[in-house]
Amino acid sequence: MDAPLISNLDVWINISLIKQYHENLPEDKAELLVLQYLSRFSVEHIAKKRNPALLNKERFYAMLLRAAMVIDSIIVIDRPFKIIPDIPDDQFIYDSLKIIDDSFKECHIFDYAWFKDRYRMIHV
Amino acid sequence: MTDLIESIGKTSVNATKSFRDTLSFATAIILKMFNKNSYSSATRMVLISQIYFTSVQVLPLFIGISIIFGSLLIGIVFHIIKTLGLDEYLGRILMGLVVTELSPFVTVLLIALRSSSAINAEIAVMKVNKELDTLNKFNIDVLDYLFLPRIISGVISVALLSFLFSILALTSGLLFSKLLFGMSLDTYSNVLLNSANFYDIVISLIKCCTFGFFITLIPIRFGLHASKDLTSIPIAVLNGMIDVFIAIVLIEVLSLILIFI
Repeated sequence: MDAPLISNLDVWINISLIKQYHENLPEDKAELLVLQYLSRFSVEHIAKKRNPALLNKERFYAMLLRAAMVIDSIIVIDRPFKIIPDIPDDQFIYDSLKIIDDSFKECHIFDYAWFKDRYRMIHV
Repeated sequence: MTDLIESIGKTSVNATKSFRDTLSFATAIILKMFNKNSYSSATRMVLISQIYFTSVQVLPLFIGISIIFGSLLIGIVFHIIKTLGLDEYLGRILMGLVVTELSPFVTVLLIALRSSSAINAEIAVMKVNKELDTLNKFNIDVLDYLFLPRIISGVISVALLSFLFSILALTSGLLFSKLLFGMSLDTYSNVLLNSANFYDIVISLIKCCTFGFFITLIPIRFGLHASKDLTSIPIAVLNGMIDVFIAIVLIEVLSLILIFI
């Protein structure tokens, strides 16, 4: 289940798009909201970047925040190690989810059974 | 012989099907256009950026082309009018040729070359990258968010740029009217104003809007024809641009028929 970032939009628009489209949130407020969320991960500098210019972890943050913008969101992460192959275990994923745990209702991670050992923090 | 007939029949069926699909897509877009729920904050943002890309970024090039091409054509028209002794029809010829025919045609060609091809490639790339699927997953209607702003921007841009072309061409006509006919600014303005026909201006405006509508709608439709392969992008762009050209010719012919009825 691929849901890539829209490549011809800045990261902040990719994230704010959900609120702007579904809740008609004005552009300035939406941008401010996204910057606040990005600052939780200390990656405000990626706001004006586009998908190809992002590092794997930055891309994960952007995709995670975009999913968290949905009202009462249930986040589904499909094969996270495909998005961030350079992490040894789920610590990074766990920490990222913890930082925005006020923004979503549930989170489900789907992965191959042979990656089970890489999940130490998250119950799978 | 049978193969030939079969091939003609197949081509005709495909062309009819394509025409029908374009019309049904156009109907869906028009319905969206008049639905105020289509204009979310996100859509408005895209609309503004599309108007910027289509009609503001192109301004330096467009003004340059309008001055050079417009002046040349006006010079030739003035020369012909003087040679044939058609001085009394000067205003009518200028308004009929420049405002109704030349401006929309030059404008639509430039916008089609620049923006239609870009839109076609953009949508095809989004399709191949599964970005359109992403929007669907987030329950974002691509008609509202992607297509409508591009089409409205096309309509606005062609109408405004065509108006600008008319102004620049008619202004350069002032120079030639002074050189060839010794006309003053007042006389030239009066000749043009007296020849301005409301019906012609309305036809010109409708033509510009129709041009703008179809030169953005067709590339979008063909962009959606791209498959999951990267190699389908150039094919989608090529087919889309051919249909854009056919649409421009068809609209031009229909508008001429409308004017001469």
